[in-house]
Formats: sequence, structure tokens, C-alpha cells
Amino acid sequence: MEKSSSCESLGSQPAAARPPSVDSLSSASTSHSENSVHTKSASVVSSDSISTSADNFSPDLRVLRESNKLAEMEEPPLLPGENIKDMAKDVTYICPFTGAVRGTLTVTNYRLYFKSMERDPPFVLDASLGVISRVEKIGGASSRGENSYGLETVCKGIPNESWRITKINERYELCDTYPALLVVPANIPDEELKRVASFRSRGRIPVLSWIHPESQATITRCSQPMVGVSGKRSKEDEKYLQAIMDSNAQSHKIFIFDARPSVNAVANKAKGGGYESEDAYQNAELVFLDIHNIHVMRESLRKLKEIVYPNIEETHWLSNLESTHWLEHIKLILAGALRIADKVESGKTSVIVHCSDGWDRTAQLTSLAMLMLDGYYRSIRGFEVLVEKEWLSFGHRFQLRLGHGDKNHADADRSPVFLQFIDCVWQMTRQFPTAFEFNEYFLITILDHLYSCLFGTFLCNSEHQRGKENLPKRTVSLWSYINSQLEDFTNPLYGSYSNHVLYPVASMRHLELWVGYYVRWNPRMKPQEPIHNRYKELLAKRAELQKKVEELQREISNRSTSSSERASSPAQCVTPVQTVV
Amino acid sequence: MWWGGRGQSFNIAPQKAEPDMGLSGPKSVQRTGMLESRSCQLGSHLASGCLPGEQILAWAPGVRKGLEPELPGTLICTNLRVTFQPCGWQRSQETPLSSEYDFVLVNIGRLEAVSGLSRVQLLRPGSPLKFTPEEILIHGRDFRLLRVAFEAGGLEPQAFQVTMAIVRARAQSSQAQQYAGISLSKAGQSSGSRKPPVPLLETSEDWETERKKQGAGGWRVSPVNERFDVATSLPRYFWVPKRTLDSEVRRAFGHFHQGRGPRLSWHHPGGSDLLRCGGFYTASDPNKEDIRAVESMLQAGHSDIVLVDTVDELPSLTDVQLAHLKLRALCLPDSSAAEEKWLSALEGTRWLDYVRSCLRKASDISVLVTSRVRSVVLQERGDRDFNGLLSSLVQLLSAPEARTLLGFQSLVQREWVAAGHPFLTRLGVTGASEEAPVFLLFLDCVWQLLQQFPAEFEFSEFFLLALHDSARVPDTLTFLRDTPWERGKQSGQGTPNSLLGTPLTHSCLSGTGIYATTVNRYYNSITLAMTRNTAQIPGSLDSSQTSWFLDPPVLCGSSPEGL
Repeated sequence: MEKSSSCESLGSQPAAARPPSVDSLSSASTSHSENSVHTKSASVVSSDSISTSADNFSPDLRVLRESNKLAEMEEPPLLPGENIKDMAKDVTYICPFTGAVRGTLTVTNYRLYFKSMERDPPFVLDASLGVISRVEKIGGASSRGENSYGLETVCKGIPNESWRITKINERYELCDTYPALLVVPANIPDEELKRVASFRSRGRIPVLSWIHPESQATITRCSQPMVGVSGKRSKEDEKYLQAIMDSNAQSHKIFIFDARPSVNAVANKAKGGGYESEDAYQNAELVFLDIHNIHVMRESLRKLKEIVYPNIEETHWLSNLESTHWLEHIKLILAGALRIADKVESGKTSVIVHCSDGWDRTAQLTSLAMLMLDGYYRSIRGFEVLVEKEWLSFGHRFQLRLGHGDKNHADADRSPVFLQFIDCVWQMTRQFPTAFEFNEYFLITILDHLYSCLFGTFLCNSEHQRGKENLPKRTVSLWSYINSQLEDFTNPLYGSYSNHVLYPVASMRHLELWVGYYVRWNPRMKPQEPIHNRYKELLAKRAELQKKVEELQREISNRSTSSSERASSPAQCVTPVQTVV
Repeated sequence: MWWGGRGQSFNIAPQKAEPDMGLSGPKSVQRTGMLESRSCQLGSHLASGCLPGEQILAWAPGVRKGLEPELPGTLICTNLRVTFQPCGWQRSQETPLSSEYDFVLVNIGRLEAVSGLSRVQLLRPGSPLKFTPEEILIHGRDFRLLRVAFEAGGLEPQAFQVTMAIVRARAQSSQAQQYAGISLSKAGQSSGSRKPPVPLLETSEDWETERKKQGAGGWRVSPVNERFDVATSLPRYFWVPKRTLDSEVRRAFGHFHQGRGPRLSWHHPGGSDLLRCGGFYTASDPNKEDIRAVESMLQAGHSDIVLVDTVDELPSLTDVQLAHLKLRALCLPDSSAAEEKWLSALEGTRWLDYVRSCLRKASDISVLVTSRVRSVVLQERGDRDFNGLLSSLVQLLSAPEARTLLGFQSLVQREWVAAGHPFLTRLGVTGASEEAPVFLLFLDCVWQLLQQFPAEFEFSEFFLLALHDSARVPDTLTFLRDTPWERGKQSGQGTPNSLLGTPLTHSCLSGTGIYATTVNRYYNSITLAMTRNTAQIPGSLDSSQTSWFLDPPVLCGSSPEGL
């Protein structure tokens, strides 16, 4: 990925919220440059969500009106463009850990802010409105919240003789949840793509996610076929899958990984969906990965929240954790991705991955498998590309899953799908501490800004929508922010084993609860000692040693070759240490 | 293939070229001399792996089963250990510590022979083995399981022989005497030549140096136990209040269980002291003078002290042993615990519960000693188990010095080795009933601290692992005696006295590149005392995965688990 073109807008805090009127925005003519992340400053949250939350919020809180002197000191620091919507003095915040605190509650167009000078140091609760999942009659507790924007990347080395880039979806007419550019088998003309699209749920045809640089085995992703109860078939779809298989000369088989439990896949037939029958698809083997749907996952996270907040029951911690099944779900996802990666790497076989719509479990599986297979995605920039590509451009419905700006906190479409993916990545970093360029803080930052709404990255449901809202022009990308201060996110132990395939162990015995994320708000679970500064010191030390190595190498080459002209450059490429930018 | 935390001290080369190993971790696994062909003739290369005084009793070709990949090799029984030597692999001369396939005889917890469907436990040399075993299962006390299938085709007698040899050798080894004078080659050679960097606390100078280091001005080194006539389980020297005469010490100590009266463990720079002592001797009838002596020793110049009943809130020895057995059963490779029940099964062992109660108690005491500047006396009837554990933990929590590599070794030497923790009995070597791995519980506590304070410790978890494994290897006397007195009988005979001194950390490990892995990359030497709200919540306790499992994540080269 090239350096972002618009870093100038980055270091500064994102600019103001100018509530956009949704309709007036220009249409989808955003330019997708293939290999860049770009950003422009602009609005932060949609006006919609702001007004809703603010209106709902203040009247419901217990407000005790009295005189105030401290109030001025209890106002929040404002971001550019942020303004105070309402303020209530002498509000009592009932903290689950330390009891009641009195202070001033301020609601701005961006955040909910509570500050009390009663305590030393002052007690502050600062939550962006996006974090608020629901407001109830009593108490102003906050929990998780919601959503921001994107761009796109296409595989390296494409087009080649078997694969081509098509612009059939330029206007998002083939599939409005797919990106404008798609990679499809070279010998399938655009006309046929349309017919394949009509057989795939929501027109999400199989498209290329990743191609093995040597074996040409591929990972393609799609949605379920519209088989239905009657067992419909589509000649075009069958031919299409055959073309995918043929593009890989190493194998005469293709694996279709259906992320769902087989029961669910069967049940989907009633709704017109289903799965590929092995009769219709010659040479294809269908495997179900038993990963549960978004509702099961949401429920699991809800249980997890219950056992970690506000109180942790010490004696039954582990069995309580087990009863949430959270880690078990994580395990199934990792195990599924592992099978995919293994088929591609060891079996040199191409795989097709889908679930029902191909935007939740499918995204988890393909992106994790790509992390295992390709060291590029384990770098910071590579990971950004991975998220942009597998999640944002292929239409993971961030808006719907997070529910930013939606009053209905109980909406059945909410689900921690992306969170699960990041959790899986974290589990991998635990098992391979030197294989990832980024650190834990990077992952936490991504998750935090999923809800902060400070960046446009995770707003909206698809590339199409983001284009319509003109988000790339009006918001800053999270990646720009991250790339402008890489040292905070760099793992000092990174060893760049980019050519190695990682096979994490997907076993309960090796998975851990990500306490640093899920339980971090519990004061008793505060990191005893953040090692963040230590990371930076190690990075500085490494850079220093790196420099020394270069100097010494230069010295050697100066000595060995007496001619002065060759003395300058060769040292660099031999350097054994990974350069820290 | 990465052989996990344990195989590092033994350089193992796989038979066929595999992708680079060890990339996932900090370890530098070396590969050395690869023998080209499989030689069933044991010949010189087998013997060359022997230690001084070690003899091969029997051997048989076989295949290591149970873990992928299966490995052909040779099962060898010597008078010291049972070892499986994979074909084409050669023991490195640089690493005398045990390998993944070495089972010191005393480490063998259970032996089973399998033939067809029958599975027999082998107990005594007398019990007849009615069939030629097809397979032998060796369960280690240290969470390992070695499963070897013998080759058929004319070699059955050898299989029978080696099995019987193991049974016999093991029976003989349970008489602990046989350790006398046995030492592993390298470790033995280097210790005599120079003074170990870790004081072994066998001379009064060592104690004096240590006392000065702690700035314990109100204390002196008492030689009253020089002949072990006050207590055989106490060291020759220990610290007593400056103003107390040796005669008073002798008089006072007589009223404590096994003569273990109050002694200084650690002096806090703020002025408070941490003492430990045994329980009062119930049958004693102290006169006035004796009472005064006891009081003055307990108070040691402080106006008031806190007497902590050590066993209160802590697990009993039986609890610890039971939890450890359950944990071991759970973590063995053939554990039947269902994957989805793993967490509750782990909880069910209560091991982590006990770790938590130890840490909590230690952190409470640490607050007393440091922030409140109160002197604390730890009292446990025997004064040889949890007193040492608590006292060590309190020091780890409160004294940055104890968290360095040398500081920690010196701490273990002082609070465990010199203080007479009955290692042999507790680790089950003597076969006595009081087996309870208190020391391993302590190591797990330290590991938990390491997880919570990654930048506060100079050593890494691999160092703890090395200690854990060494506790059962008869290479030094450190962990192979119950009392300083017994240990003292052996020293001076050319046997290295301490694993904690030169041998482990400086000679053996640095020779193999393992030294590097025992040092913690995150260690930040500048920081001072640790926050003390340590380990209150089980959520913050990890299951010590590296130490209890041997199947780590793999990079390329072997198929992923769960396929």
C-alpha cells in the first residue's frame, strides 16, 4: 500500500461535526484508487444519531438541581465543532465500583461527559455518544456502541491469465453490497456474471479474495446459492465454479466451506437459500464449519458482559466464562479459518467460502485465513488493507451490526461479528508473539474507533453507501490516524516471517479471554503495569541497533571495496533487522 | 517443529528437513549433529550421551506414539533414567539438563504395559509380566507422558527386557540414597572452579554479606546451629536480633516445633522486618526467662508486631497435592477432559484458587510490611512450606532486587533451600505420604506475577520452567535433600551443591543459547515497587499454559490441530 495521500489532515483532530443532510449528498462517483487509503476531514457523526441520543438522555437522568460553583471546572474540553447541547449540575453518578459521585453532566453533539471535583483526582466519565447502546430510566451507565468508512484494494498480480478485473459493478448495479471492482475468472464474460448473480443471494457472486502466489490456489467468497426447497440449479453458477477450479492447475477438486452448521444451511432452503449439492457441482466437496449465526453470537457476548461487569464472581470465574460459550465460538471460527488455510496451503486446493449472505462469517473466515497464509496482512499496513478489503469493500454491514444512531437497542441485526474477528486476531498474536507487526493497542484502537465515530472508516454498510454519503471526502480514515503515529502501534518483537504460514492451535486450552479488552473497565482489572512505554523503548533500542548495523556494514563495504563509488548503497539490502518506520 | 517449553535444553534435530523452527517464539532452538542413518546398533553414540556413572541396563527399538509425528527411535533404560532417543538424533554434549524424552527414574509416576487390549500397571519388580508388551506408557510426575510402541519382528525379547529393566531400576531408585555423588557432567565440572555468583548461604560470610545488603542493622548472624544441634532442618547460620545472645537463642528455639524459632527473613528499608518461625512446641513448659527470650526474639526491638497464622486461608498440603494431581490428569496429553468443558475442569482442580489465595495473602502481608511499616512474624507449625512460600512472595512483591535473575535465585536459595523445605518429600521422591508440590505452587504464583507485571522481572517464564523441571532431575543437590544437614553431608564430595548457582544459569544455559530465553525482554530495571493490588481476581489469573502443556502452536510444518 502506498503512503496515504492525505496525511495532512491527520495529526489534527478530526474536524467538526457539520451535521450533514443526508439527501443532499452527491452520488456514488467516488474514485477508488486501487492501492491507497485516503481521507479527507469532515463530519464526525450523522446529525441523526446526535439529536436522538441527546434528547433521550438528559431528561431521564436523576438531576438534582442545586447551586453550583464547580460547574465551570466540570465542563468538558470541546473538540473543534463540538458544542454543548445541555448541561445538568449536581447530577449523581452511581458508579458500580466506587459508589455515588456528584458532579456535572454535559451532553454535547458528540459526547456524554460527566465530571466530579469531589474526588481527587477528579472523577471523569467521558463517552462518545456512539458508545451508548441504550438509555434507561435510572443511571447513566454506558456499554458498547457503534460505527465509520473505507476504500479498497485489489490483489497483487491480478489480472493474470486466469483472473481478470471487471468493472461490471462500477455503478453497484450487479450487487450493491460489493465493491466497484471485482476479480472474476478470466473466461467468464460479464453477461454470464449477471446470471450467476441472480442465482446467488443478494447477487453476491463468488469473487477472488486471495490467490496463492505459487500454487495459484485461491480463496473466493460469495453468498449462499438460491437453491430453495425445490433444489434449483444454475448452469452458469456451476460453470463459474468449474472455472474457479480450473484456474488452479494443481488440484482437480474444489472445496466449498459453508460456515454454517448444516442444520441452519438446510433450514435456509425454506427461505430460498441453501447450499451447493455435490451432485450439481462436480468435483466439489462441501464442508460445514458449524459456526453459529449472529444471534447466537450476540447472546454469547451479552452473557460475557454480565460476568465481567460490574462484578466478577471470583470462585466461579472459569465455569461462568465457559457458560458464555464465547471462547468456544472463537475457537470454531479459528478452526474454520485454519481448515481453509490448510486446504489452500497444504492441499494446494482452491476454496470457496460462504455463509448465508457472505458478509459476516464469510468475512471472518476469509480474513483470518489470509492472515494465516500471507505475512503481508500481518504488517500494520497489510492489516489495514485486509480490513478495507474483506470487511469494508465486501460489505460487512457495520452500520447494521453496530447500530449507530439507531434508537432500537434490541434490534436483531446487532452482532459482534467484527469484534469476534479482532478477538481471533488477538488470539493469534498471543500464540505468535513475533509474527505480527502490530501490538495489542492497535487492535484495541480499532475496536474503540468502531464506536467512537471520530473516523469515517466504519460508518455505513457498504462501499456503495459510503460513496453516496461522500464519506471519503467528509471524514478522516482511521488508518490515516494510525499511520501518522505508527510507533504507538508497533510490536517491538516483530520478526517479519512473512513467508511463513501460521497455524494457530484452535483449542480451548490455548484460547484465553481477552481481559485487556473485555474487562478493562473494571478498576480491579486495570493493567497492573502498562508495558506500552517499554514497547517504545524497545523500538528505540532496535532502531539504534539497526543504525549501528548499517554503519558497520557500510564500514565493511568501504574497506573491502577500495573504490569509493560503490561504498554507499549495498549495505541496506543486507540488513537483517526489520526497519522500523 | 517446535518442541515446546521443555525440549529446549536438548538439541533435537528432526529426521527430515522441516521448515525453520522456533520462529514463533523467542527461543533459539539449535540443531546439531544429525546422524545420517538409523542405527539400531547403539554403539558409541548412545554411550556418549551417558553421564558419569551412568550405565545402560537395557534398550529396545520402538516408535514414539501419541503425538504427531510418530518417531522411530530407541528406548533406553539406564541406572539413572529412561530415555527415548529418536533415530538420527544426538544428545548435545552442551546440555546436560534433561530433554523432552528423558525421564529421571524418580520422575516416573506410573508405568503401564499394553498388549492388545490388556493394559497392566507395572508396580514392583516382583510382579510378573505375563506378556510381551507391545507398548509401554510412562507417566511422568511432571505432566509428561511417553508412549512407545515396540517393534515387532524378532525383537520382542528386547522389549520385554527393557520393560523389566525399567521396573527394576525404578524400584531401586526410590531409595533416595542413590543420588549421592551423581551429577550431570557439565554442571559438575564448572561449579568447583569459581565462586558461584549466587551465595549458597553455607558460610557465615554469605549470611553477613546478605545481611548488610538488606541493611538489617539490628540483626546479626548467629552460628548457634553450626553443628546442626539446634535443628537439622535449619541452616548453619541465620539472623537473630543483635542483642540476643546465642544461649538465649538456643533456649528460645527449644520451645518451637523442631527447634525452628523466629528468624529474620527480610528487612524492609523502611524499618519493618519479616520473620518466620515454627509453631510453639506444645509439650514445652517454658520458665520466665525462656518466655522473655522468646518474646525478645519475636519482637526484635519493635514495639508491636503482627503474628500471622500462615495456614489461615491457605490450602492444606493435602489440598495442594490433590489439586496438583487433578491438574496433571487434566493436562496430560491423553486427558479425557472434553474440550468444551476445559475451563470448568480447570476450575474444578482448584489449583488456580490456591494460587490466588497464596497471592492474596502475600499481598496483604506485603502491605503491612511496606506501607504500614509493621513487622510481621509468619508462623506455621512446620515452618518449612507455606512460610517459605509467603515470605518469598512478599519479597518478590516488595523488593525489586528479588525480581532480578540473581536476586530470585538467591531468594530461592535462602527461603527454600537453606530454610529446609523438604523438597524430596514434597515432590514425592521418598515415597512418603506427605507429597505436596508446594514449591511448584510457588513457581506458578511467580508465573502469575510475571503475567501481571511483564516489565518487572528480569527473568522470563522459561527460567521458571527450567526450575520447575530441574526440581526432579538429580543433577545437583539443590532440590534433592530435605534438610540443609543432609545436604551438608554431601558437599565437599565433588557434587555441585546448587542448581541456582553457576551451573544452571551460567554454564549450562549460556552454553546453549538458552540463557537468552531466560531473560525477560520487557524487563525494565528502573521501576521500583510493584503495585500491590495483586492477583485479587481469578479473572486475572491465567492457566499456566506454557508450563502445563507441551503442544504449542506451530508454524508451518505440521498439520493444524482439530482437522
